[in-house]
Amino acid sequence: MKGAEFLVKALEHEGVELIFGYPGGAIMPVYDALLDSKIRHILVRHEQAAALAADGYARATGKVGVCMATSGPGATNLVTGIANAYMDSVPMVAITGQVATSLMGTDAFQEVDIFGITMPVVKHSFLAKTAAELPRIVHEAFRIARSGRPGPVLIDLPKDIANTVAEYEFHEDDTSEEIAEPSKESITRALALMRESRNPVVYAGGGIGMANALEEFRAFIETTRIPVVATLKGLGALPTTHEFALGMMGMHGTKTANHAVQICDLLICVGARFDDRATGRLNAFAPNAKVIHLDVDRAEISKLRRADVPVIGDLRHALKALTCKLANIEPWRRECSASKETHAWDYAAPGTEVYAPGFLKELSDRAGDDSIVACDVGQHQMWVAQHFHFNRPSQHLSSGGLGTMGYGLPAAIGAQLAFPNATVINVSGDGSIMMNLQELATLRRYDLPVKIVLFDNRALGMVRQWQELFHDKRYSEVDLSDNPDFCRVAESMGIPAFRVEDRADVSGAIDRLLAEPGPVLAHVLIHQEANVWPIVGPGRSNSEMMHQHEVAREVAR
Amino acid sequence: MTKFTLQLRVKQSEGALVRILGVTRRRRFDLLHLTADTSEDGHFLDVQMTVQADRAENTLVRQIEKLEDVSQVEVVEPDDSASERRAARSTAR
Repeated sequence: MKGAEFLVKALEHEGVELIFGYPGGAIMPVYDALLDSKIRHILVRHEQAAALAADGYARATGKVGVCMATSGPGATNLVTGIANAYMDSVPMVAITGQVATSLMGTDAFQEVDIFGITMPVVKHSFLAKTAAELPRIVHEAFRIARSGRPGPVLIDLPKDIANTVAEYEFHEDDTSEEIAEPSKESITRALALMRESRNPVVYAGGGIGMANALEEFRAFIETTRIPVVATLKGLGALPTTHEFALGMMGMHGTKTANHAVQICDLLICVGARFDDRATGRLNAFAPNAKVIHLDVDRAEISKLRRADVPVIGDLRHALKALTCKLANIEPWRRECSASKETHAWDYAAPGTEVYAPGFLKELSDRAGDDSIVACDVGQHQMWVAQHFHFNRPSQHLSSGGLGTMGYGLPAAIGAQLAFPNATVINVSGDGSIMMNLQELATLRRYDLPVKIVLFDNRALGMVRQWQELFHDKRYSEVDLSDNPDFCRVAESMGIPAFRVEDRADVSGAIDRLLAEPGPVLAHVLIHQEANVWPIVGPGRSNSEMMHQHEVAREVAR
Repeated sequence: MTKFTLQLRVKQSEGALVRILGVTRRRRFDLLHLTADTSEDGHFLDVQMTVQADRAENTLVRQIEKLEDVSQVEVVEPDDSASERRAARSTAR
């Protein structure tokens, strides 16, 4: 048996069903071995999409996503997707072909030090030096990718190792790792702070979904009745329509969520990392709050904000241990609920053009709880976070940490392959879609019924918005008025498409999107100057939110 | 500015030392001194490094602890034997 066959056999052993990839010279032995495997390979049209699709698959399923590319440019094209997975703690194994060991270090054709290039953005990486060690490497790679705080792992495989004939030998050692329970002392101290608090807030992050702790989290909230604010990745940990859910916090968070955090006396951070987009100016963030920080990653504790009580370990254990009735907080909870009602979104916008938030609200209401939304990055991404309802975090695939334009379409492909019968929607923008447009061909090839909603404002909207608000309207390189005709582009790749220009046509457009049995693209024109509101300016505290009506007043003066 | 010395035991593996130095640089710690020796059994590298930064000691310690190949991290008093060896070498010249 050859090394490449070892690799494939080991992947089968790990339960891999799908690999996203693109062949080339150095990885050819593995592609040869795949012909005799039951693993399904999905051929994308650019390696970046392979990594991003594996990421989308992993987020939607909770399983490890696998992507593969050849050496050199194939490998470097994976890097953005690997970094994306790293920043959002997504379990992934990336396999790259490498030139033969005798050629390594000689500047050979398509040689690149992918092991070195990816070092800052992987949880760990392996360079295979013998065929015999491949089964162990694969097993280790999967264990590392999914254990504790998940992340991407790289396996670099030189071509001669892939071609080496050896005896397949693998005795799996029992490496299933139990995550440590949090210390009793930390639980006691956390409970004491909770019982003292009059205005506590739970700050819910992506860790809840990744720890499979939805059930424990919801029981914790239902019992303690503490109001919840969410990060981008924490949306859906508590259903976003739940009475206690105050919405997203941070730069484009709700007024209620940010205000609650700014005045709370206790902040319980659950699987989140005090990212700058969530906290605003850090030294003005939750200024009156003591902090309880629950996380599996000890390195996140007091990294940015000092934790009064760290609770390190398995979230499920921690949340169970902290579930108790609290006597003092009912007036506060009612105050938060009232604020949420006062500041509810208003979908009555002036004009007759399509209003993106209203479009997304209606789409969300009609697509139902089983739908999955993958978005790209920019204004539309924030509108999705604000106006879509999420029942679970795995329903919302969004590039939070890295902010990768071009994430949405490949991620939707990954999710649709994992759940062939689900309604998978890619919400994109006219900037982002062009970053991985070639994947329309992948949709067609595998006949994946992804619904694409392309909001088009003929501009790089989020950058345009910043230039308008924070750079004195000095617009620099944000004009996209020469966009192609997106409907014709889609149709040329075999994807039916239609245009929506008028608000009166939105319901009909959503009918058509949801009724179409195969892939479909709705090209939705929106006002060029539509902005995401509210917004916290760069370097500002979350107490200083800018709202649309206030900015309009400023301009009128 | 904090300045401290770490004693690490690291599995001999592809890129292990580069990985540690990469984390150190990315987390904005400046390297002042470094020694690395293979352990007697040949399976490990014993690394001693002195760094300085505006950030707390634990910011770096916790990140290095997470690396797969790192089996021990300790904040120690700087080991004089290293500077003695340097001194001996310069005398020998």
